[in-house]
Amino acid sequence: MNEKELEVAAKIKSMLSENLNIPEEELDYEVALFNDGIGLDSVDSLEIISCIDSEYGVVMTGVPKEHFFNITSLTKYVVEHM
Amino acid sequence: MNKQINTRCVVTGLGLINAIGNDVNECWTNALAGKTGIDVVKSVNADECYANLGAEVECADLDKYQGVDRATKLCLKASEEAFADAAIDISKEDASRFGVVMGSCVGGVVSIENYVVNGQNTEDIRKMAISSIANHVANRVGAGGVITNVGNACAAGTIPIAYACELIRAGVADMFIVGGADAFASVPFAGFTALHALSEQPCSPFNHCNGITLGEGAGAIVVESYEHAQKRNAKIYCDVLAAGISSDAHHITAPREDGVGQMYAIRTAIANSGVDAKEIGYVNAHGTGTGKNDNAEFLSLHTIFDDVNDNLSVSSTKSMVGHCLGAAGAIEAVYAIKALTENKIPPTIGYSDEDLAVLAEKAGKIDFMPNTMKEKELNYVMSNSFAFGGSNASIIFGKQAGDVKETENDAPVYITGFGIVSPIGNGTENYIEKVKSGATISEASVKANVDKVDFDKYDVKMAFYRKLDKFSLMQVISGLEALSSAGIEIEEDKAEDYGMIIGTGDGPITTVYQFQEHITENGTKAGSAFNFPNTVYNAAGGYLSIKTNMRGYNVTVTNGAQSGMSSLCYAYNELRQNHAKFMLATGTDENSEVMERLYGQLGLVADGQAKLYGNTGMALSDGSTTIALEGAEFANARGAKKYAEVAGYGMSHAITEYGVLAGTEDSLEAAIASALKMAGIEASQIDAVYGFGDGIAEVDTVEKNVYGKLFDAKLPIHNVRSYVGESRAAAGTLSIAHAALTLSGELGDSQKAFFFGDEVTEGVADTSAYNYVLATSAADGGSYCAVVLKKA
Repeated sequence: MNEKELEVAAKIKSMLSENLNIPEEELDYEVALFNDGIGLDSVDSLEIISCIDSEYGVVMTGVPKEHFFNITSLTKYVVEHM
Repeated sequence: MNKQINTRCVVTGLGLINAIGNDVNECWTNALAGKTGIDVVKSVNADECYANLGAEVECADLDKYQGVDRATKLCLKASEEAFADAAIDISKEDASRFGVVMGSCVGGVVSIENYVVNGQNTEDIRKMAISSIANHVANRVGAGGVITNVGNACAAGTIPIAYACELIRAGVADMFIVGGADAFASVPFAGFTALHALSEQPCSPFNHCNGITLGEGAGAIVVESYEHAQKRNAKIYCDVLAAGISSDAHHITAPREDGVGQMYAIRTAIANSGVDAKEIGYVNAHGTGTGKNDNAEFLSLHTIFDDVNDNLSVSSTKSMVGHCLGAAGAIEAVYAIKALTENKIPPTIGYSDEDLAVLAEKAGKIDFMPNTMKEKELNYVMSNSFAFGGSNASIIFGKQAGDVKETENDAPVYITGFGIVSPIGNGTENYIEKVKSGATISEASVKANVDKVDFDKYDVKMAFYRKLDKFSLMQVISGLEALSSAGIEIEEDKAEDYGMIIGTGDGPITTVYQFQEHITENGTKAGSAFNFPNTVYNAAGGYLSIKTNMRGYNVTVTNGAQSGMSSLCYAYNELRQNHAKFMLATGTDENSEVMERLYGQLGLVADGQAKLYGNTGMALSDGSTTIALEGAEFANARGAKKYAEVAGYGMSHAITEYGVLAGTEDSLEAAIASALKMAGIEASQIDAVYGFGDGIAEVDTVEKNVYGKLFDAKLPIHNVRSYVGESRAAAGTLSIAHAALTLSGELGDSQKAFFFGDEVTEGVADTSAYNYVLATSAADGGSYCAVVLKKA
């Protein structure tokens, strides 16, 4: 990740931890957020979309789910669409 | 021994207010005409929200109700209509056998918003909890029996009808006003916005299914025994046959896609009503207009009725009045009863010609009543309500008495396990140790803590517990401990045998308050999808059922601090009426910065160390206590350890201003008298009391006066608040747990006690020979609960 990506990734990680109540130590940038990973569900994805929209003005409603796979994929999408 | 219950329950009064009318006639005429009440919302700021529709009530008459939340105003309006319609002459009634049970999802959330936005006025505080609703109705109509509320979100309006019939069939009461109420408010609007569950167009149940449209209103129904109705020569609308109540144990907001929980509720209602599925002529569906609900309900209705009933009509009146949340079940029950008694079915509106073509393809033999009402001879009708937390309720009304299959047994009910979360630590073993070592609370505000140690002990994974607020976490941990301590493992094919009654005074008010603060600061569009599911009172019971797979009877009751003890009475009744084989009864209430502010502002919290019976104010506390309950047969078959027998209970209400306890001695005495009578014993046979005094003079005085009258001055009065503080509903259930642990010998041979002579003195009581003990609890507004426990 470049500097910008690292900054966004760190911010997304702290948002996930704070708003979805995930212990920071469980969150590395590669861990799968849904299903067998952290176990997030559709309600959590709405919260992620809302957080990213309000922080970066990037609308992720209807975006294919592979972009929600982990913090790295979220970061890439956000940086590309900022 | 099981025996058939032959008590008929009949409907004798109706009241209704919603977006298409301010009384039953107006609401009914407009529903038949297919009039919509949905418009752009006025009472909530929907700027920048993707959807801005709602079904709001316009009724200048509501202004006459002063000093209460809007939900209570709506409830009072409908209740007064039902009361008048039933032509009850209260001067000829035994008030102690007249009760009120009301359902609500968000309760006084308009007052929470007002408090947060408009200067934190003290007068808003007592309007916040759901508890206040039934209290105000009871006081208005003069009811002094079982007064409580049901907090099962969008099924909350249906369950009170079922509970009232159960209590009438148990012989506890003759008559009830039941129903539900919810007001249009920012918290649910923001919450459903965050979940993207609101439709941009008027909701379109079983049709476009793009989401719900929120509404508001209230429904009220007078239910009484047939004998009572006959005796007072009442006009009878119909019989209430039977209900089915279940839990999905699946997801906190979404229904099971396979409809298993809904179908269990519907099938139970049909079976216990003693009717055949082919005899149901009309179902007022839950039909919210979300894809998830409508698909599951569509599947449930087709699965149950296809092949056996080719004359079924189904409609969703939500298409006109919106989704009125905790009022929905009551409003829709009134519509179902009107349909039954007038042989007219209201439509589901909003179908275009194209929609009708699509409907024709998928409806099968079910008539989904698009756009226009129809006349049809009806004998039996059903109303369905499903809710957050996986809560399902279905109820059947009949023109005839039917062949109701409700039964009761007379087997002893035993306490067989405990779960304790408290400020002095978690777990029953820990509690016993702390009590034996004389633990005391020295701060004016104390809080329980639930953490990774507890989660690991009961194998609660992070993916699960991270979703829960503290209120739900405390409940889940105490519930899991109670199951573990009772030695219960739930088998998949018997999951419906296991139920729970959650009791809470303040519910998740902390979470609701924080949600409100967030949207006040950031706008209605900025509600948290993550936090919203935790704003409903039955979230805790929903999570516990998901974690345990307990799919049976699941109700959250709320009427102040006595809710914990009244949950035990409720659960006892379910076991006696064979609605479950095993029940958890719980009390859970939370302390937080928010609660410290609210109770502090009311002047109820001690300045320093609280002293019970010392006029200091209380030590504000929190926690969750869960009790495992089961009948003798089930307990014996599995060799369960019996800690105590529940020998009797009593519930009563004083007709006094909500928030006041002073001068309500008669009500406490009545609750105790009922409990003693049910236990078949005299006051002189009581060996000790587990009381409710908490250091607030008004509370303690009632207790001192009543025990002084009923009992010898040497009678030991124990009080769990000595050890854990005033944890409200949790303390009520803990009193039961503590008493049972005393009777079984777990707490040793002696305990500290108070003695109510001329002065209150403290000492030590020999507990080794206790045989019968009494536990009591109280709520603001003069509701009391008393339970007699017997050594097992």
